[in-house]
Amino acid sequence: MKLTPYEESVLNGSHGRLVQVALENIIRYADVLGATELCEVTKATVFCGAHHYLNFCNTDNFHELFTKMNLGKDEIITFNQTYPNCYTQSCVSPCDQFSFDSLHQSKKYFDKNTSYLEECRKAGVTIAGSCAPYLTGWLPVKGEHFVTTESGVTAIGNSLWGAMGNSDGIEAAFWSSICGRTPLWGNHIEENRKATHHVVVEANIDHLIEWDLLGKAVGMKLPSSSIPVVDGHFKSVNFTKLAQFFTTISMSSNCELCHVSGITPEARDVSDAFKGSPTHGDWVVTNKDLQYAYDLMCDEGAQSVDFVSLGCPHYNIDLIKKAAEYVEGKKINPNVHFMIWTVYPIKAMADLNGYTRIIEEAGGKIYTSSCPTTVGNIFLDHYSGFVFDSYKQARSVKSDTDKPVFYGDMKTCIDVAVSGRWEVENRWKR
Amino acid sequence: MEKIIIKGRGVIKGVAEGEALVCPNSIAGWGGIDPATGIIKEPLNINKGKSIKDTILVMSGSKGSNGWSCYFGAARAAGSAPKGWIFTNIDSSSGVASSIMQIPTVVNFDDSQNPCQLIENGDWVKIDGDTGIVEITKKQYKEKI
Repeated sequence: MKLTPYEESVLNGSHGRLVQVALENIIRYADVLGATELCEVTKATVFCGAHHYLNFCNTDNFHELFTKMNLGKDEIITFNQTYPNCYTQSCVSPCDQFSFDSLHQSKKYFDKNTSYLEECRKAGVTIAGSCAPYLTGWLPVKGEHFVTTESGVTAIGNSLWGAMGNSDGIEAAFWSSICGRTPLWGNHIEENRKATHHVVVEANIDHLIEWDLLGKAVGMKLPSSSIPVVDGHFKSVNFTKLAQFFTTISMSSNCELCHVSGITPEARDVSDAFKGSPTHGDWVVTNKDLQYAYDLMCDEGAQSVDFVSLGCPHYNIDLIKKAAEYVEGKKINPNVHFMIWTVYPIKAMADLNGYTRIIEEAGGKIYTSSCPTTVGNIFLDHYSGFVFDSYKQARSVKSDTDKPVFYGDMKTCIDVAVSGRWEVENRWKR
Repeated sequence: MEKIIIKGRGVIKGVAEGEALVCPNSIAGWGGIDPATGIIKEPLNINKGKSIKDTILVMSGSKGSNGWSCYFGAARAAGSAPKGWIFTNIDSSSGVASSIMQIPTVVNFDDSQNPCQLIENGDWVKIDGDTGIVEITKKQYKEKI
């Protein structure tokens, strides 16, 4: 491993045990990948909070838990610093910023989560609580090396911004945010970012749900570790649609970089995306593929529902505005828990603009800092029929429950929240 | 029955052997497995309902959420980890998971030696994380060993 003087000094312990162990782990990770040097990371998102997977380590001592689960060491190392040149903010936690009763959580658990967040804040993490860190200004630029705990953000960062990041994982994101290094491997190397597969989109793609379904339709056919260039005549493309697409393609494959011909910066056209390298496979995505992707996710039948959730990834202010406009004057069925998920500063904007009031008067609620699957079964187990406007959230909740899970666009979800029933006619059809 | 021998790159040292569980389309991250039991929960996974515990887990690579490695790390903490694992091609998420799990790991095979094609559920597989050698005994013969 080729190391800089700074990295050598970290390894010999000059910067303390925490940074030393973080870098040792990064070097082991680099060895596994086959990387021979490291690069400096200047943007990170990390996974803070009392997440359920941490319960398998029998301690409530945050630093002991952190050391065992995130650093892989059987000692207690205090997590008390992050790399000064790396802006680090938190991804979702398992709690809303303020509410716990309505999510069926105890005050004790909520307080534990808050205390874990506070320890991370003291270490230098800005508490944001979002899977959509771009909503709060976390925006790595072209060529900037980043790490993130959100797979969709990996794909957005690489594909749309031309920044450089791998999927890594929750532990490695902490290692990088602490020591400021990640293996110089994969998407961190310009040469590795060429397209490998050409996907011609013949399906009609315009509305948000169609971009969501396109992500699944492409992702489910992608060979492991491939880089597609998606090529189609797309209407009115915007960031929200692309973010939904990248979120779903990364959920349904291990895709970290997906060029969109004529739209993303490393693919002015298909030829630019390949940069002279050969294609390893070409295929066409049709309307039939979108319908197949939809039918895989949305359960059959009609029944009453009691859980309708919007916002995965977290809604931006424009989507909240559109939801408020559509729900205004309607009444959510009293048996339905209707919710929108976003990040705290966007909720503040919704408050300021009156959207929160409209949604609450209809009988809904805006939550922040988490999402249904991250809150988990303590919340989900109270309900018997689920509706989502996101493929990723629907798929995640389907892993958590054997109850019916339905999936539709925002307006369909709101209509269902009002009626309290999912009907066969609500299914998306091409 | 002669053993089938294939060779990849050994990346986490040590030797492990056990029954293979083969996931050619990997296992989804974040909620794809129940760490307490190792049972695969992913709705569309061909091995849904089977446990990764004490197996030699064979996968193409990772899939889905960046919360991929932490679920395997939690399975390790709960005593439900596989004995060793094989990735047809290493990627960043499986790289982090391997670094955390510290179980014998062999990765990166030639196209002609794709472990997801050569190994089936129930085959007896021995992996050497030092040399990268993988020995496969097909299940119809393993009872005779």
